[in-house]
This record gives sequence, structure tokens and C-alpha cells, in this order.
Amino acid sequence: MKIVIVGNGKVGFSLAEHLVKESHDLTIVDMQEEPLRKASDILDIMSVKGNGVSSSTLKEAGAEYADLLVAATSSDEVNMVCCSTAKHLGAKCTIARIRNPEYTMGISELKKTMGIDMVINPENASATEIARWLRFPSAANIETFCRGRVELMGFRLQAKDFMVGKPLYALSDQVKKLSLLFCAIERDSEVFIPDGAFVPKENDKLYVIGRPSSLDQFFRLLGRYCPKVKDVFIVGGGKISLYLTTILEKMKMRTKIVELSPERCRQISEQLNHTMVICGDGTDQELLNEERLASSDAFVALTDRDEDNLILSLYAMQLGIPKVITKSNRQNYAGIARAVGLDSIISPKSITVSQILQLVRGMENSEGSVMTTLYRIADGLAEAMEFSVGSHTKHLGVALKDLTLKKGILLAVIMRNGEIIIPEGNSSIQEGDSVIVIARDHHLLNLNDIYADDDEDFPITGGLT
Amino acid sequence: MNFNLVLKVVARIILVEAGALSFPMLVAYSYGESTLPFLLTIGLLLLFCIPLSFLPSKKEFFLREGFVTVGLLWLITGIVGGLPFYFSGYFSSFIDCVFESCSGFTTTGATILTDIEALPYGILFWRSFTHWLGGMGVLVLATAILPSFGIRSHYMTQAESPGPVFSKLVPKQSQTSKILYGIYCALTVIEAFILKILGMPLYDAVIHAFSTAGTGGFSNRNASVGAYGDPVIEMVIAVFAILFSVNFGLYFLLIRRRFREVLASDELRFFVGIVAGATLLITINTLPIYQTVLESFRYAFFQVASIISTTGFATADYVLWPQFSQCILILLMFCGACAGSTGGGIKCSRILMLLRSIRRELHCITHPRSVEVVRLDGKVVEEKTMHSVLVFFCCYLLVILGATLIISLDGYSFSTSFSSALTCVSNVGPGLELVGPTGNFSTFSPLSKAVMALCMIIGRLEIFPILVLFSHLTWRRT
Repeated sequence: MKIVIVGNGKVGFSLAEHLVKESHDLTIVDMQEEPLRKASDILDIMSVKGNGVSSSTLKEAGAEYADLLVAATSSDEVNMVCCSTAKHLGAKCTIARIRNPEYTMGISELKKTMGIDMVINPENASATEIARWLRFPSAANIETFCRGRVELMGFRLQAKDFMVGKPLYALSDQVKKLSLLFCAIERDSEVFIPDGAFVPKENDKLYVIGRPSSLDQFFRLLGRYCPKVKDVFIVGGGKISLYLTTILEKMKMRTKIVELSPERCRQISEQLNHTMVICGDGTDQELLNEERLASSDAFVALTDRDEDNLILSLYAMQLGIPKVITKSNRQNYAGIARAVGLDSIISPKSITVSQILQLVRGMENSEGSVMTTLYRIADGLAEAMEFSVGSHTKHLGVALKDLTLKKGILLAVIMRNGEIIIPEGNSSIQEGDSVIVIARDHHLLNLNDIYADDDEDFPITGGLT
Repeated sequence: MNFNLVLKVVARIILVEAGALSFPMLVAYSYGESTLPFLLTIGLLLLFCIPLSFLPSKKEFFLREGFVTVGLLWLITGIVGGLPFYFSGYFSSFIDCVFESCSGFTTTGATILTDIEALPYGILFWRSFTHWLGGMGVLVLATAILPSFGIRSHYMTQAESPGPVFSKLVPKQSQTSKILYGIYCALTVIEAFILKILGMPLYDAVIHAFSTAGTGGFSNRNASVGAYGDPVIEMVIAVFAILFSVNFGLYFLLIRRRFREVLASDELRFFVGIVAGATLLITINTLPIYQTVLESFRYAFFQVASIISTTGFATADYVLWPQFSQCILILLMFCGACAGSTGGGIKCSRILMLLRSIRRELHCITHPRSVEVVRLDGKVVEEKTMHSVLVFFCCYLLVILGATLIISLDGYSFSTSFSSALTCVSNVGPGLELVGPTGNFSTFSPLSKAVMALCMIIGRLEIFPILVLFSHLTWRRT
């Protein structure tokens, strides 16, 4: 696909990095020479210097023939005008990053008049994600499929868990009865798709997929079930905090925000009714203790600086707060954070990238089985995606035991008429189903891509069968 | 310095060249000649390069590695390309073979052979085929046909492609290389076809098409293109030489039907202007030698096209022309073809930028507070690019002067020494006096030949990839 990215910032570059890997034709437009030079040195792309709102620059970048244009400059207005111009020039699909809450209110009118096909608001998306994590504190992260009927959770194994050191097939019947599946294991920044003989170790991150009620039960068995979060402590009063507290207020959680700037504090308190806003330095331990950080149920670090967030989260973890969420935009920090036990890392940048990648994959695959959801798990080492099965899908109605899948691909869940099936040898895929696939090292576009063409043998279902 | 990866990449590209050797081998076979020189070379290459191409290596590949790869690749290519000549036994020493092969790959076209027609068909085919391979670039070819090195090939193609700024035609490098080679192949085939129709034997047509395409200048005749004595053939070759010295990006624009941008190209206008001006001046200057204006024009145009495109074919011995005409030709050797073409020299776009920065400097003297930018094709040229153009120009002169100094050890006249250095660095082929269109380089000492061979590669790669090889900083671990 021909893709034009306007704005070579953090998001633009990271997006380009991923799209190049999926061998799209990429052109990046930016005003500054230096970042462009860097981008075209590192990536196999074409760069155009100029202002993304000018039609001549867009023409030079080939926006007329582009299948997709992503406007991700730092200015909302530039992004909107850029999308609008590109749409008039002939770009098939446009995505704008719009972050200002004022625009978010009337976004559907804006989209229509400006010719924007999709609006991405990284802060809002991050806030939604954090809220979801706070609702299910037992898991390090959680993704939902089939409109919430299936959930994928990741959690870190601790030494005392009963699963450690035993192969998966040897788990008790109590666990086996539950309709869930262990679909991926992250160990030392590598991802495995487990089969029955896989032995989980301490500190592995396990991804388990299934019905929400089954997952709840599983966490109870594991002795991990956390009570609901009631008090949330947030440091940093940026856009994400504002979006997040709005959602949390609706969920009837009590929130406390610590923010340094008095003006910002006032702004926040003007917009929120039930939230306590505290003006002070969130990195000051004295202040945190005074505000009884230790007795809150969850801590969210959302300051501008990744470093501060990490240190604050470590401090909160030390205090024994059950749920600690850290914002970190830098990929390499996320790895370090995981190593010291901070599992819930939120990165607005990678959420944005995921959303756009999902759209791109969906566009590429307009016929056959349509991908409806895509999540990147374990730092993007693996992907979990949902396909709706169409009539073009191969091997419909064939029992899975008679099929071979490519290595590193797991068919995790089949969803038929609202019923969730954890596939076994005798199950089959039928038209109208939704299926969830976990893939490692593959960029799947189509459900037909999961079948191995050669006779490479690989178990179709892993985990508990 | 990740030397393992550099070696690995070089080895893989040399393997591509080993593949290319099968073409002259086929030619030799079909003419019933010995294929042994080619078989031996291919065998040697496979023996050395296959183990090297599986060398375990780390993944780091940066601009430094890119430049060293290109530099090393061309030095090795120059030597490897001489092996078939050496094994054929028609050359007196190994340094002669390396000279001839460097002259081929760098599209210079200078020769140490005194009787070309005595050589077998296969060897002569290889000689011209090296022009064709080296013209667009071995690396560009490699990035077009090898799936992916898994490294940033951008760094290498950047070092190999001539011109002050490197820009891709389409976002993907491999696609860009394919388009370039597509245009290149198409033009070559068209030229060979036309030459065949005009009555050249098929073999000669192909040889001359290769030599023109690479803007090299090797012919299979002792008297070069002049041997055919046909004005139409001469005109066709001259026109194609000019076509091959135009930026290939412009052909891409033509295919995309963006005619206005092609016509607006500053470099193209400048180039055409120089060709027209030089032809006019030489035509007038040589009128007393030739009978008619038309004949004078015929020789003038061919020689101007041949020199400015850095091809170096000859139809007339311009050493017998008036000094003024010879001087113009020397200046054309400096100037060279357009950026992004197969030709050599300083490149028209650089000359144009230099001229414009001189104008800016003058403006700055008269209006000390004026702020002015240099533009090319209506776009502002970055100061960093301007700076690199200036440095390049100085280095170019220094390399020529240095080479002249070493060559003068042989005791020939200044004209001979200087013009042979210039013609090698600019990848033209013939020089003045002893090395003129009718002369050759066989009488120079081995030292001079080695220096000239190196100069050709320095000129082809636009200096820095080779200079980087000689910098101690490159080879440091950190």
C-alpha cells in the first residue's frame, strides 16, 4: 500500500518503522531536514521536506495516489487541514491525530466536513486502556474481543503460584474445566506459544484467553483475585489524567490527582466534580506520604517524564500498592521497567501505532476474512487478532486435527452464535464464526494465512486440551 | 567497525559478479573459443566467496560500514574483473589486466591494448560488459536482484550513486533499483537495435551499446567508432551517449508523464546548453581543417558528446585540432555528465551550484547584509549540501594534481601527465598528446598504471568511499 505520513515525530517515526517492516511504500513529510535525514537513513522510505498543509508538498509526496495518509504532527489544526487537502487531492483514506479535548466533543461533524476517516486521540485511548486495567486489577494487561465476551489477560507468575514448575497438562481438573486457554508466554523478552508439555517458570508472563467469568475464577484459584479498586492515586495532571478521571468518576472510583502547576490544578478542578486535586510536586515523598499514598488501591504515574514515572512507580510498588500503572513512551524503558517488576506500562505512542496498524491491515484485506481487532502483546513480539470468517476462508468445516497451521500460530477461540468454543481436535471453523488467532513472527492479513502449505507439523491447540 | 558483515556483503555481491561472468562465457562458447579464463575465474570466486558469504556477523551496519563496503567492493571488483584477462594470456602483466578491468568497471574506457582486434570475442565482450555493469553500479544491481541484505542498503547505494544528493524514485530501495535498471536495459536494447539496423554486425552493435550505456568507451575496433566511417552511426551513438548522461530520475518523471518538471530541470538545461555551446565553438574553430560546415559539425558534435558524457569514443584525432578546441574538451572532462546518470566527472549539478554560490558570494560583497539561498530546480539547497559540494570540488582537484605528480615520474610532458590523470579521475578515457584518441596507456610504468586504476575508482565513487578506506578512524574498534 502507498502510505504517506505527515509529521516525523515520535508517533510518525515509530509508525513508519512498523509499516516498513510490513513492506508498504512509505513517504514521510516533515518540515525539518535533520529528522527526515535520520529517518531515511534508518528506514527504506522516501522523504519529502515541506509543510504538510501545502498541496504542492502533498502532491510531491504522492498523496494523490496514496491509499492512506496519516497526519501526526504536533498541531491538531495542521493535521486536520492536511487530511482535508489530501482527501481533496485524492487520498483514499485519511487519519488525523487530534488531541485537544475541545475538538473531541464535536468530532463527528469535524470528521465529515474535513474529510477525515479516522481520528486518533492517543491520550483518550490511553485513558480508556488504563481504566480497563483498573477495572480488572488482577491482570497486568487485558484486551477484549467479541465485544467484551472474550478477554485476553497477561499476568506475571510468582514463585508461590501452583502453576510454576508443572507442565500445563498436569494442571488440576478444576482449572482444566474452565473454558480458557494459555495462549502465549513471555520469557526473557521472547515469546513462546505453549503446548501441553510447556513448563511455566517463575517470572514468566502468561497470557490467558477466555470468558471473563472463567478468567475471574481462574484468578481466584490462583489466589490472585484482587478486590475492586476504590481509591486511585494519580500523579501528573496532563490530558490523559483528565480523560482518565472523567471515566473513573463514572465508574464511581475515588481519584486523587497531584499536579505541580497551580493553574493546571485549577483547570482540572473546574472540569471535574468529585476528584480531589492536590497542587504540589508529585515526586516529593513527603507529599505522597501526607496524602496517604500507601493506603490507596491503585497508583498511576502520568507525568511528562518517563524517568519520573518509573521511579514513582517503583516507590509505590515498594509501599505495597496492589496495582501500579506507569506511563512510558520510550520502548527501551518499558523493557527495563518489566525487569524490575512493573508490568502495567502504558505507552500512548504504541497505542496509536497499534490502532493505525490495525486499520492498515484491515484495509489491505478487504475481501475474505476481515480482521476486526488487533492487539499487539508482549511489546509487539506477538499479536492477537480477531477475524470474522467469510465464505472465502479455506477449510471451512474441516476438523482442526486434519489441518496443519504454520509454526507460531495458535487458533485460540472460536466464537459461534455468541457461544465461546475453545478449539479441540474435532472443532472446525464455519462461515459466520469469529475466530481469535495468536501469532508470533507473522504479520497475518488473512485468516487463510494461518494454514501451513507444507507438511510442517504443529499442534493446533496448545494449553489445556 | 563491523568488518565481518562488510566482508559478508562484499562476498555476496562478488557472487553476483561471478554470475555476470557467465554471459561472456556463453559468448566465448558460441564463437568456439576457450571458456577456460571465465571458468577459472568463476571457480576462484566461488571458492573464496561462498564461505565468506556465510560469515557469522553482528547486525550493526551504519554509514561507516556502508562506505567501507562500497570502497572495498570496487577495489576487489577491479582486481577480480582482471582475472579473465590474465587467464586469457593476451595481456603482458597482471597490472595491465587490473588497469583494463578498472577502466571497464569505472566506465573510463582507457586501454593499454595496442591491437584490440586481435583479442577473442569472449574477452572483448567481457571488456564492454564491465562498462555496462559498472555504469549503473554493481550495488544498485545487487539491491535490485538480491532480495534483501537485512541491512540498511540505503547507505551503500548512497555511496555508489553519483551526484551531490541521493534521492529515491519510489519509497523502496529495491524498487528504485529495479526501475533504474529497467530504464537502463530498455535504452541499451534500443540502441543496440538501432545500430544493428544501421548495418553494424550484431556483435559490434551490442558491444557499442554496452559501452555507450555505461558511458565507457571500449570498442572492439582499433579505430573506435571511426572505423565504421558512417555519419549516421556516429550521430546515433553521440545522441545515446547524451541520453545516458542525463539524470535517470528524469526518465522516470517522463514515464510518470510529469513533463513540466523535466523541462524545468536546471541541470538538464545547463547540460544541454554546454553541449550546444561547445559544439558550436568547436565547429567554428575546426572549420579550416574540414571541408564543409556539416563535416566540421559531425566531428565536433560527436567529440563533445563523447567527452562530456565521459564515454571517450573517437572518430577524429582531436590532438590535431586547434588548441582552443582541445582546451574546450579538457574543460568538458572536468564538468562531466549529470548527477544520477552513468557518466563521470564533477557533474553538472555541482558545477551549477558552485557557479550559483559564486554569484551569491558576489552579492554578499556588494550587499554585506544580504541573506540569500542557493536554489536548484526551484528548491533551496541545504547549506550542508553546498558545503559538501565545495569540499568535493577541492578534493577532486587535489586528487588530479596528486596523480599528475606521480605520473610525471615517468617523464612524459605535462600535457600527457595531467590529461591522463584528469581523464582517469573523470572516467573519460582518452587524454591529450600521448594518450589521445589514437594513443594508449601501455607505455606507462606499473606504478603509474596502478595510480591511474585507483584514480578511476576514486572518480567513479566520487572520492569519499575510497578516502574513507585510508582513514585510520575507520578501522578503529570504537
